[in-house]
Amino acid sequence: MNDVGAPPPVMEVSNLRKSFRIGLRMKRVEAVKGISFQVQPGEVFGFLGPNGAGKTTTIKTCMGLIRPTSGTVRLFGADHESLHVRTRIGFLPEHPYFYDYLKPVEILDFYGRLFGIEQRERKRRIERLLDRVGLSHAKDRTLRRFSKGMLQRVGIAQALINDPDLVVLDEPLSGLDPIGRKEIRDILVDLRAARKTIFFSSHILSDIEMICDRVAIINFGKLQSIGTLEQLLHPDRMSTEITFMSHDPELLERVAKVSQRVDRLGDYSRCVVDGRPDVVLKMLVDGGVSIDSVTPKRESLEDLFVKEAIRGAREQQMERNQ
Amino acid sequence: MSAAVDRTLAIASNTFREAVRNRAFIGLMILAIAFLFFSLVLSELAVRGEKVRVILDFGYFAVGLFGVVIAVVMGVILVYKEIEKKTIFTIIPKPIHRFEIIVGKYLGMTALLILEVGLMAVVWLLALWLKDAPISWDILKSLILIFCEILMVASVAILFSSFSSPILSGIFTIGIFVIGRVVHMVDQMLNARRGLFVDVPALRPFGEVLVAVVPDLQVFNVTQDLLLNLPVSTSYVVASIGYAVAYIVCFISLAVILFQRRDFI
Ligand SMILES: Nc1ncnc2c1ncn2[C@@H]1O[C@H](COP(=O)(O)OP(=O)(O)OP(=O)(O)O)[C@@H](O)[C@H]1O
Ligand SMILES: [Mg+2]
Repeated sequence: MNDVGAPPPVMEVSNLRKSFRIGLRMKRVEAVKGISFQVQPGEVFGFLGPNGAGKTTTIKTCMGLIRPTSGTVRLFGADHESLHVRTRIGFLPEHPYFYDYLKPVEILDFYGRLFGIEQRERKRRIERLLDRVGLSHAKDRTLRRFSKGMLQRVGIAQALINDPDLVVLDEPLSGLDPIGRKEIRDILVDLRAARKTIFFSSHILSDIEMICDRVAIINFGKLQSIGTLEQLLHPDRMSTEITFMSHDPELLERVAKVSQRVDRLGDYSRCVVDGRPDVVLKMLVDGGVSIDSVTPKRESLEDLFVKEAIRGAREQQMERNQ
Repeated sequence: MSAAVDRTLAIASNTFREAVRNRAFIGLMILAIAFLFFSLVLSELAVRGEKVRVILDFGYFAVGLFGVVIAVVMGVILVYKEIEKKTIFTIIPKPIHRFEIIVGKYLGMTALLILEVGLMAVVWLLALWLKDAPISWDILKSLILIFCEILMVASVAILFSSFSSPILSGIFTIGIFVIGRVVHMVDQMLNARRGLFVDVPALRPFGEVLVAVVPDLQVFNVTQDLLLNLPVSTSYVVASIGYAVAYIVCFISLAVILFQRRDFI
């Protein structure tokens, strides 16, 4: 039960399962195996997972494109397929493709009509949106002549035509050049400032790291971890990387005893130390070795991602063996 | 309610726009009109009394043939592309009922076929007028009947393509069209005292199912009457329109039911 007056979660996915039947023998493939999570109003929620993890399947189920095998999806506390809920959602599919015989204005006008937006208002919004996604210069071209990144921008514009409260984006930054990525990221930051809820999936970890409040990591159709970046990345678990100018085997052996890893890089050697680097630094200074660099390393989302992927694969293997 | 109508019309007009900008449609349309002009040339070769007959015959055949081909090809392409190219992914999550999408598609097809039959009819009537042929109401009535048949075929195309692949949909739709043209003969054979269904009684149920399910498209074919200068009664036309509408409503409803359940993957 919610507190009186507290708004319901914007997205509430409970025990979602989806299996597909493929081939002539209708072999069952379980794409999503019981996922539950909630997204609160105003959150920027990152949905992270390797290829084939089940991100798109989960998102499509939330958007009513596919029906779950079991489990439920509620958006804004209501049935996710109700028209009222849908007026408040903007959705960008993975690798979007649009009516390529239309021009950007025509296509946005079409989508605007589906929302019942009045004509003059449509015109005003389209003008603004095209400017915002950086397509004003390409207004008179049909989408057939658009590049992949330009289509992605059309996709973002169409997801925002109804000024949605919840924006769901399946890999919004794929196919964009670095400048395009930054521009789209800026749009997401603006949306967050306007207290919109954003749910997006990505492989690009730095983007997630840069803008998400909370992250869920999914693999093999299961949720592996969920939380704020601070919770997931264990800031206390820091390590330090030291590079120094020496290949003295005796010294390297001693350094190896107190560090996680030692390797040679050309003229240099490099070691990674868990926790504080004092002991190794003293060894090196005492040995008269010239120290090239000392870099503190926080666990990155990438490390976590790889770690979770390996853990997932191992669990999957164990399940199969049983 | 009016919002639902607006959305359906948005889908319809987008469908229509897509079709008229489609190369297949433009190509078929050009071919169809060229075909009618060809009938003019051909009529010059005919003996004196037969000139009008050639144009009448040819035009009637061309309007029907190209109408059906366009109904099948475009009906299949328009739904198939929406799903295969995944533009449907951006439509379903919008505040629109799935049935509005199917009905909108069908209305867009209807507009397209009005354009197609209208254009061909104009060219056909022009050709008849050039040859000083009398243009009777019966020709107009025959056009209405052809149009009903074409609309019915379009609804079959939409029905099949709402759940199967374009090639299969095309084959099934053409299959239904061909069976529809001969199903009255099957009916006659079922009632006959001799013939296939008496010799092989095991086939009877198949014949009965065909007669029950497949619309009898011969209803819309009044070529014989036209050529023999027999009048086509208005009440017959009205009854035939009713027959077509009833089938179209059934086919589109079935398409909606199938479309309602499917996953878009
Ligand atoms: N239509 C389908 N039929 C059969 N299996 C499917 C279908 N769609 C997805 N799958 C399977 O479900 C699993 C999850 O796929 P999904 O597309 O959800 O992954 P994803 O996390 O979005 O991957 P990516 O990062 O590559 O986009 C995969 O193993 C995939 O093979
Ligand atoms: Mg995906």
